[in-house]
Amino acid sequence: MTAELVDEVFRRLQHEGFQEIALEFARENIEQIRFSASTTDLHNYWDQENLSVFASKNGRTVSTAIKDPASVDQAVARLNEVASRTPENSSFVSINRDRQTYGKGMTSHFQSVDLQDLQDAMVNGSLSAGAERAAGLIYNRNSEITVKTSYNECHFSTGGLEGVIRAFRGNFTGQEALHFGFSTSPTAKSFEEMGANAALTASAASNTSEIDPGKFKAILSPYVIGNIMSYGSGFLSYYAVETGLSCFAGMLDREVSSEEFSLYDDPTDYSGVGSRICDDEGTPTSKLQIIGHGKLQSYLHSTSTASRAGTRTTGNAGIITPRAWQLSLEAGKTSFKSMLEGLDSGLLINNAWYTRFQDYRNGVFSTVPRDGVFLVRDGEIQGAVSGIRISDSVPGILRNVSALSMERKRVKWWEEIYASTMPYVMVDGVNISKAF
Amino acid sequence: MGGELLEKALQYASRSSRYSEARYADILTNELSYRNSEFEGMDFERESGYAVRVVNNSIAMAYTDREDWGRLKEAIDHALKTSMRPGKSSIWEGKAIKDSWKVNQRKPIEDMSVEDRVALARDYDAMMKAAGADVRLNVIHDKRIKQRYVNSVGSDISGDVARLYYFYMVGVMENGEFEQSTKEYGSSSGYEYLDSLNLEERIASDVRDLHESASAPRPSPGKFDIIVGPEISGIVAHESCGHPTEYDRIVGREGALAGESFLTGKKFPFRIGSESVSVIDDPTIQGSFGYYRYDDEGVPSRKRYLYRKGYTDEFILNRESASMLGKDSNAGGRSSSWDMEPLARMSTTYIEPGDYRFEELFEGIRKGIYIKSFTEWNIDDIRFNEKYVGKEAYLITNGDLSGRVRRPVLETTTINFYSAVDAVGRDLEFSAGMCGKGDPEQGVDVWMGGPHMRLRGVYIQ
Repeated sequence: MTAELVDEVFRRLQHEGFQEIALEFARENIEQIRFSASTTDLHNYWDQENLSVFASKNGRTVSTAIKDPASVDQAVARLNEVASRTPENSSFVSINRDRQTYGKGMTSHFQSVDLQDLQDAMVNGSLSAGAERAAGLIYNRNSEITVKTSYNECHFSTGGLEGVIRAFRGNFTGQEALHFGFSTSPTAKSFEEMGANAALTASAASNTSEIDPGKFKAILSPYVIGNIMSYGSGFLSYYAVETGLSCFAGMLDREVSSEEFSLYDDPTDYSGVGSRICDDEGTPTSKLQIIGHGKLQSYLHSTSTASRAGTRTTGNAGIITPRAWQLSLEAGKTSFKSMLEGLDSGLLINNAWYTRFQDYRNGVFSTVPRDGVFLVRDGEIQGAVSGIRISDSVPGILRNVSALSMERKRVKWWEEIYASTMPYVMVDGVNISKAF
Repeated sequence: MGGELLEKALQYASRSSRYSEARYADILTNELSYRNSEFEGMDFERESGYAVRVVNNSIAMAYTDREDWGRLKEAIDHALKTSMRPGKSSIWEGKAIKDSWKVNQRKPIEDMSVEDRVALARDYDAMMKAAGADVRLNVIHDKRIKQRYVNSVGSDISGDVARLYYFYMVGVMENGEFEQSTKEYGSSSGYEYLDSLNLEERIASDVRDLHESASAPRPSPGKFDIIVGPEISGIVAHESCGHPTEYDRIVGREGALAGESFLTGKKFPFRIGSESVSVIDDPTIQGSFGYYRYDDEGVPSRKRYLYRKGYTDEFILNRESASMLGKDSNAGGRSSSWDMEPLARMSTTYIEPGDYRFEELFEGIRKGIYIKSFTEWNIDDIRFNEKYVGKEAYLITNGDLSGRVRRPVLETTTINFYSAVDAVGRDLEFSAGMCGKGDPEQGVDVWMGGPHMRLRGVYIQ
């Protein structure tokens, strides 16, 4: 499939009377290596092309994906049929009609990278630092994107390297999961350090500590706050607010977190793999302040949601469902070391997964800590803790943030943490529950 | 349908690999949604492509969606090259099988008009509104998968699958308190499945329960005898039996993602609880959401006991994990799409029904809680420490229901849960789900289920 096909589909849809059209063509080459017990499980390689189509006619909206140039006739006929036989979509107002100009973006790819070498470096780094075995994976993603709408057209490259390693030592584990965008220059040494750091976390305690459930002062690592904010970013989409499923509804210009907390969506940061220069309807992306010094400054908007909210799009389309591209939590003024040293009594939690909500409107959730959960007394790790949960709420966690570290990590892990940049955060009174 | 390059791809891959296989799938999906009485558009997609697996010094897979021999050959060459690097390389090959299979539809997906699909979602939304739901999301999704699998042993399996999935979420406000409920229904069938569900009654009941639960008191923490409903039996079977008996997890292959298993390193059979408990995974149940006659590695499916009378029994095996265990694959190899590797996966996982009538389960309970359904849940990465928050729940006093309680929390371990079971009902219900695993994440269609069960002396928060 080529750019000519994008133009062909666009012309065909115009000819069929579709009034607003947004096409997104992606050519992707992705390589992956997966390993466990410190050896390779699988090499994966994808070569794919996809044309996503969104179009509207007389208030009706249709969408599809065209993978095969030979199926264009069939797809256009079906789009016409669906548009003529479905009700109006009142969630859709329009796509962005203003003429746009775009930045250059980044075009460099990590094309000569040998994933086996990076895996070897990561595993060796882990084993040298005390791990008994390691599991993980590395991705090299390279995507060429074209967004063509009724009013605008933009092209950009996105992707980069992602590495995940989990180190095992006896019953203890540690994990690192970082991403490297096109403006960075990761080396084998970068991956070796990831492996070593995962092993150091797995080795940080040689004994276990028991705790009773209750409220704890806790240092949440970039992975833990990244996990909570990845799930929490859904509540910042105006789609969730309108639906009645957001704990941030009605909170615009109001305090939603402690003053230390400033959250951005920053797809213009090319050091991460979540960069892009325009959204799904051709609006240029920008660094958006979502929470500024504790106050909710903006929801995530497309042109349609912004129109209904009486504001301007933030460049976060999803045309119907806006979303965050690459979250960035502003660094604080405290070093992680002094944060830990200043923790008289509490927990250090390095990772969490399986975050589930019992109440979207109030953001009530629990998540399961893993990969380095430690009881801390007088700034020293006393022992590893297992079998606990963070059972709290997103607003509760954000309101109780008392400090953020000056160090940040570019974290991304599986479906649990979207590409983001996060510091360590100190949170007072985290509710911890436990199995009986 | 494409796929003309499949045999050529296998032949080419086989020339330079110890074992090879190729799969082509053509997948047609339709999805539409209603949100709070607003129609949100309809999406349809058709995607297809080739997946080729080769085995030499290590295992490699390549995927391409092009009907272009040059591109496909290039992808296979890439896989052949990387498979020469060191790594794990054992795979169970099995015997050659040639067959084809199909899911029968009485109300075929392809015959459903756009208007009929829209009307279904609109009607469900109206039922929710009439029942008093403030928040209403309805999603109807169907898919038709035509797939052909071939391997270097000589297998050639064609499958034609229809699957239907309906998801809804409702939320209510009652005296300033919010309660929510999500439900998933799925089957391997046409649209006749939705007709069979009596959704009007189910939806009205669900919304009514939310209103009543929102104003119910929280239970005082303490030890209770509890009765869990089929929805909870199902999620427990899935999370704390199905996942930990996936053999690829036991050997650590998912270690950096969904994790390993509490069964890793254990001597088998390993005692997991009361002899009242047996858990089955059965892909052969026709109409079930996880139904298949052959898995995505061309292996014929069969019923598997994962736990039998309180002990581990079989594990879920795909070709790769079967070779690690030195056994035949038991047809657990499933992939969510044409461009995903087959992993060891569940199908329909359920607790085997026992002998007790529903009323008998209540006998002898002086102080208890009946937790019929759940909302929030999660489990740790070795599938041992788990949490289920009750949605529809009632106090039991001297064998009788004595009023609703709100969000009772059962936070326990796999061994403690199964060990506390002393009576298993004779009923059996299933619910549908999307089971996630792997990276890239693969959501596969499953059922999970079980009967009502009684557990003694469980701590409820």
